[in-house]
Amino acid sequence: MAAPWQISRAGALWLVVAFAVCIAPLAAYLPLWVPGVAALAALWRLGIHSGRWGAPGWGLKAALALVCVAGLVLSFRRLQGLEPMVSLLVCAFSLKLLEMRQRRDALVVIFLGYFVAIVLALFDQGMLVALYILAAMVVVSASLVGLHQSAAQHSYRRPLRTALYIFLPALPLAIVFFLVMPRLGPLWGVPAPGVAVTGMSDSLRLGQVASLSGSSAIAFRAEFEGEVPPREQRYWRGVTLSHFDGESWERAAWWSAQRGIRWTGDERRDDPDTATALDYRVILEKTGGTWLYSLAYPQALTANTGVAQDFTLVSRSPVTRRTEYQVRSFPDRHVDRDGLGALQRRVETQLPENSNPRTRRLAAAWAAETPEPRALIERLLRHYHRGFSYTLTPPSLGQHAVDDFLFSSRAGFCEHFAASFVFFMRAAGVPARIVGGYQGGELDEAGNYLVVRQYDAHAWAEVWLEGEGWARVDPTAAVAPERILSNLLSMMSADVVFANSPLDLARFQGVPLINQLRLRMERLEYQWARWVLGYDTEQSNVLARLLGGLDPLRIATFVLLASALCLAPVLFAMYPGRRRGKHVGDQLYAEFCARLARAGCERARGEGPRDFAARASRNFPADAAAINSIRDAYLALRYGPGSGDVAHLRRLVKGFRV
Amino acid sequence: MAFEKFFEDWLERRLPRVERIRLGRRSIFTFPSRAGLFFLLVLALLWLLAINYENNVVFFFAALLGAVFVVTILHGYSNVAGVTLRILAVDSGFPGESLRVDIELSHDGKRHRDDIKLYFPGTTPQQVSLAKGTDSTVASLYVRAKRRGRLRPGRLTVESVYPLGLIRIWSHVRLDGWGAVYPRPGAGASHADGGGAESGAVQSEVAGTEDFAGLEPYRQGEAWNRIAWKQVARGQGVYTKHFVDPAAEPQWLDWAHFPDLDRESRLSRLCGAVLEADMAGRDYGLKLPGESSALGQGEAHRTRLLRMLALFECEDQEAG
Repeated sequence: MAAPWQISRAGALWLVVAFAVCIAPLAAYLPLWVPGVAALAALWRLGIHSGRWGAPGWGLKAALALVCVAGLVLSFRRLQGLEPMVSLLVCAFSLKLLEMRQRRDALVVIFLGYFVAIVLALFDQGMLVALYILAAMVVVSASLVGLHQSAAQHSYRRPLRTALYIFLPALPLAIVFFLVMPRLGPLWGVPAPGVAVTGMSDSLRLGQVASLSGSSAIAFRAEFEGEVPPREQRYWRGVTLSHFDGESWERAAWWSAQRGIRWTGDERRDDPDTATALDYRVILEKTGGTWLYSLAYPQALTANTGVAQDFTLVSRSPVTRRTEYQVRSFPDRHVDRDGLGALQRRVETQLPENSNPRTRRLAAAWAAETPEPRALIERLLRHYHRGFSYTLTPPSLGQHAVDDFLFSSRAGFCEHFAASFVFFMRAAGVPARIVGGYQGGELDEAGNYLVVRQYDAHAWAEVWLEGEGWARVDPTAAVAPERILSNLLSMMSADVVFANSPLDLARFQGVPLINQLRLRMERLEYQWARWVLGYDTEQSNVLARLLGGLDPLRIATFVLLASALCLAPVLFAMYPGRRRGKHVGDQLYAEFCARLARAGCERARGEGPRDFAARASRNFPADAAAINSIRDAYLALRYGPGSGDVAHLRRLVKGFRV
Repeated sequence: MAFEKFFEDWLERRLPRVERIRLGRRSIFTFPSRAGLFFLLVLALLWLLAINYENNVVFFFAALLGAVFVVTILHGYSNVAGVTLRILAVDSGFPGESLRVDIELSHDGKRHRDDIKLYFPGTTPQQVSLAKGTDSTVASLYVRAKRRGRLRPGRLTVESVYPLGLIRIWSHVRLDGWGAVYPRPGAGASHADGGGAESGAVQSEVAGTEDFAGLEPYRQGEAWNRIAWKQVARGQGVYTKHFVDPAAEPQWLDWAHFPDLDRESRLSRLCGAVLEADMAGRDYGLKLPGESSALGQGEAHRTRLLRMLALFECEDQEAG
């Protein structure tokens, strides 16, 4: 018999499985050497398990530890941030797996495993990821069961089954805890995951938006309280780009300053001069930036969001996880109608000295011929409409990109049109800026919400007009109006849009089954985001509706009753009963006897199983074989050596018919 | 110390000595194991993580681990509850020896029970399991015998952390069952102070194989190899050869032979005398104040006498 402090074989094997399951999904977020070290540790463990290799010597362990330290230093330089910390955790997990010898070591590995499995949720909070974590936790628990399995009862399957029996009642119980557990604000600042910014960024170099188009990942979802505005009105403003240094467009330093932002609850709220309002809630995927998306022109309603001076919506802290906010927008509102300040006018007309000289000359000439800005805009849009084409794969441009685009290539997508338009307007003396964001969005038929995807990313322009304020102009619409009226996919062939993601499900929008599946999945993800990820904001509402009040007594009663309900089946299945129970074999045998008694052959008091079987066989010669095999199984179970086979007897008895 | 005494008394009242016990609500105690406390620490860390990252998924999984913790209490409880324990047998032996205690665990066979540890104070834990469908199993523990008397193995700890090792489920049961511890063998009878034990006064003889005693006429059924063929050849008739053993007069080992010694020393000397007499191969018997044995020899007789010595005016003792 194995000593209790040793690691059982089933435990060791499940531990390696759990280890692999916990670490595999993290590989996407960590430097490549981290999963490499983990794989080495897992393989070595398997080698030890199968008896091929011995435990690693101290030299190898020291070398691996050194690799880990060197890797951490080289990859991250300093140990701040989430990725370095998780990498460190995974390294510790791997090394501990390799050097464990006793049950105690294995326990440490397993608890680390729980931690590592759950840490994945800091990188991705999707529903499928959550399901994966759940499965990983069951496997980790199976290894914990395997560890406590005695050698005499060795089985590879039972640990998993036991773990499932534990998790089945634990799930509803966890939901109860989740519902009522009070939510506190963050206790201290934590390093956020460094988000590889997918989606639009707050700078624009010609050629950047094109890489977004290839992704059908969801940027955000918006749920409207009333009517959803028509597609051509759905310009989701994210950032305005006002500073051009000759190569790229950036946000003006002026805007990013915090002092101009009117946060929710700020007294300097400006009341709009219009009544039409759109109320909606946005669930934004992580962006890594502080900007939020809204329709023109927003009023912030959620805490820690505000409206900047360029009337974009901003968040106080970077959006490093799925975030939900409520907005009210006034589409008919005019902003900055009373004129621009001197500084603002300078910012919005600024151009570097000697860039794109041909465009400057043309703009100056046109401005002289058509001094009225509205007419000038018309003329430029007509110019686009006549000689330009829309493509997602434009030719590359030289140093004077706007010149090259306007005078030679004449083909591009939204950002080419927006950037050249704004440059032209500024050169003609009209204040203008680029707006980056999304256009359109897919309306879900069941839910009343829009799904906006990365390929809906768009750039357009805003021009300041006397007496009107800032006005939206979308030069892309002049060239390719269908880009605005339908989405990119229906306009271009899927091959162009998804050139770099061959397995994207959105590619198969033409295949009804796949498309339906995709839409259903997304609806689920939406509900997940709304009710689970956004539960903090809903908690008091949900509880009040569920319980009819929020007093502590009510909540305590709810927790107790609900927990009892969750645990009742377990108690029922496991409670040993008051009296000494009948042996399960005897129960089955009694059932068999009862069947025969019903058929007219009752077992006499004190009649032994052998005699009874002989008599029954005489009465029912046709069933003699079945009767005798039940007799043998019963005798083997009750009086035979070793552990009997209950399942076999049960099968025979349940299948027995006279 | 006062607390320990209090706990002992309380335990004695709650779980008095019984012949057999079926573990249940009254007899089972539950508390997180050391690993369980560590698990709660991990849980607290996860909770902090969830709060600081305002991450509801982490929050949910922290809640799930908490729920798992609660559910394993029930699983652990039912792993042990319903097991019936009794002592099958306790070996007898001399002081200083490790005596085997056989403990039978039985259940109704409805469920699988694993990783149950059994130990008496100070003994190595023994891991047992009861498979589904089996009736019972026997675990053997070894307890050290110290003094002459009745050895009771003490409170048996039944303990299990199955299935996850987070919750320790245990019971301290006092089971009826004892083994005899014989006196430490002393110098024996040959150095007895009193008389009576001197050998060789009158020797009776019994039929045996040692010394030739004479010829007797053949009777039907006697062994052929006993026939005195020489006499047959001389035509003197059929005789058989007969032998006798120097017999061994029955020896009484008497409490009264050691008048100057105290009780334990007397018993110790008597014990040595029993072993000597057993080796000598003659009938012997034992006389103690108020009781005496029959004459006899052989292993069963020796054991009976040793038990008489072990239990004579003895005190109960507990191992550990």
